Amino acid sequence: MSPSALDELIDALRCLPGVGPKSAQRMAYHLLQRDQRGAGRLARAMGQALEVLRHCERCNNFAETDVCVRCADPQRDATQLCVVEMPADLAMMEQTHAYRGLYYVLMGRLSPLDGIGPRELRLDKLIARAGDGLVREVILATNFTNEGEATAHTIAELLGARGLQVSRLSRGVPVGGELEHTDTGTIAQALVERRTL
Amino acid sequence: MSPKQRIEQQPSFVLHTYPWRETSLIAEIFSRDHGRVALVAKGARRPQSPLRGVLMAFQPLLVDWSGGGEVKTLVRAEWQGGQPLLGGRALLCGYYLNELLVRLSAREDAHPVLFAAYADALREFARGDALAPVLRRFELALLNELGYGAGLDVEADSGEAVRPAQDYLYIIERGPLPLATHAAADAEQPVISGRSLLAMAAGDFSAAETLAQSKTLLRAIINHYLGGQPLQSRRVLKELQEL
Ligand SMILES: [Zn+2]
Repeated sequence: MSPSALDELIDALRCLPGVGPKSAQRMAYHLLQRDQRGAGRLARAMGQALEVLRHCERCNNFAETDVCVRCADPQRDATQLCVVEMPADLAMMEQTHAYRGLYYVLMGRLSPLDGIGPRELRLDKLIARAGDGLVREVILATNFTNEGEATAHTIAELLGARGLQVSRLSRGVPVGGELEHTDTGTIAQALVERRTL
Repeated sequence: MSPKQRIEQQPSFVLHTYPWRETSLIAEIFSRDHGRVALVAKGARRPQSPLRGVLMAFQPLLVDWSGGGEVKTLVRAEWQGGQPLLGGRALLCGYYLNELLVRLSAREDAHPVLFAAYADALREFARGDALAPVLRRFELALLNELGYGAGLDVEADSGEAVRPAQDYLYIIERGPLPLATHAAADAEQPVISGRSLLAMAAGDFSAAETLAQSKTLLRAIINHYLGGQPLQSRRVLKELQEL
């Protein structure tokens, strides 16, 4: 292998989040020296994924077809649309087995100071999706961070103005959580958002 | 490089955080006695890190840090509480305040008066106060504290007191000039009534005219000091209105 091919591999590995020059070098040596089969598999999988994966036209999640399996499933309730930040959040919602509606994956969150606004998040796509005439309720399941809240507020304003019913996941003390072991921020907010019994 | 120091229990707010290495964060904070400081929060992005929920913008914190370089090391951050999380449009306005502080204040310049004005603004946002007067009061405090404040109640050149019934052309870095004797207004040199100037100087934003005119004036002054680099938070608000 010519030195430039090695350098190119090390440099390419640096596109991974949190990988600096040192870790990239370690990964490259590991792949080439200790795990050539793994390296080949990684290269093929990467090529394959880039080839076949695209964003589902309806939910924006990664899919191998124009419309993903979940969005095409007639068993799911097309009147509910749950908006999440990332595919991992969708997977978490699915694990609850408590939701039978459809999803929209933003692939990010609003973050004004990082220059991520409605345009970067392609909120126009979400507006079009939610306005398909079937969706009756949009459930906002973005994170309970400032960015997630800002995202939820923004979407609520945009969709509310278009006559859609918008709801937000509620927040509070975790199930099975004891107050003594819950962080004070969570308890304080649960107190602000207390409900009448 | 300043000598190595250890700061304890410093009242602070997080202005912005960004990822650092694999599991850490850099937090830009605004502290009461040391101004804007950059801290590396080691391991703060690990799922179990107790810092995850604490290093949130708009919440009063007590922070310990050490180190003498440009970026210090966060030792401890404690949530002070007592303030509900910001929501809705107030949250977007909060980002605007943070961006102003990041863009216009220098690192490690202490501004305790501005810190108090910032804490007041967040408290008023959290309480649900009308947003515009809170924004205007903060913008004014920011300009005054950073040394950009030009007189509001004294005429430029003549040094005479501003008269309520007179209209003024506001010349940035000089102050208000009576309108009759000067050229037409533009975005760089807005027109403002003497009444509004005096109300602004007194921190009174109750009149609709004061609110509208002070918004134009303060925006022109802030844009001037931003040097033509637009604010992201303002762009986001504008894009929202266009959708
Ligand atoms: Zn889909």
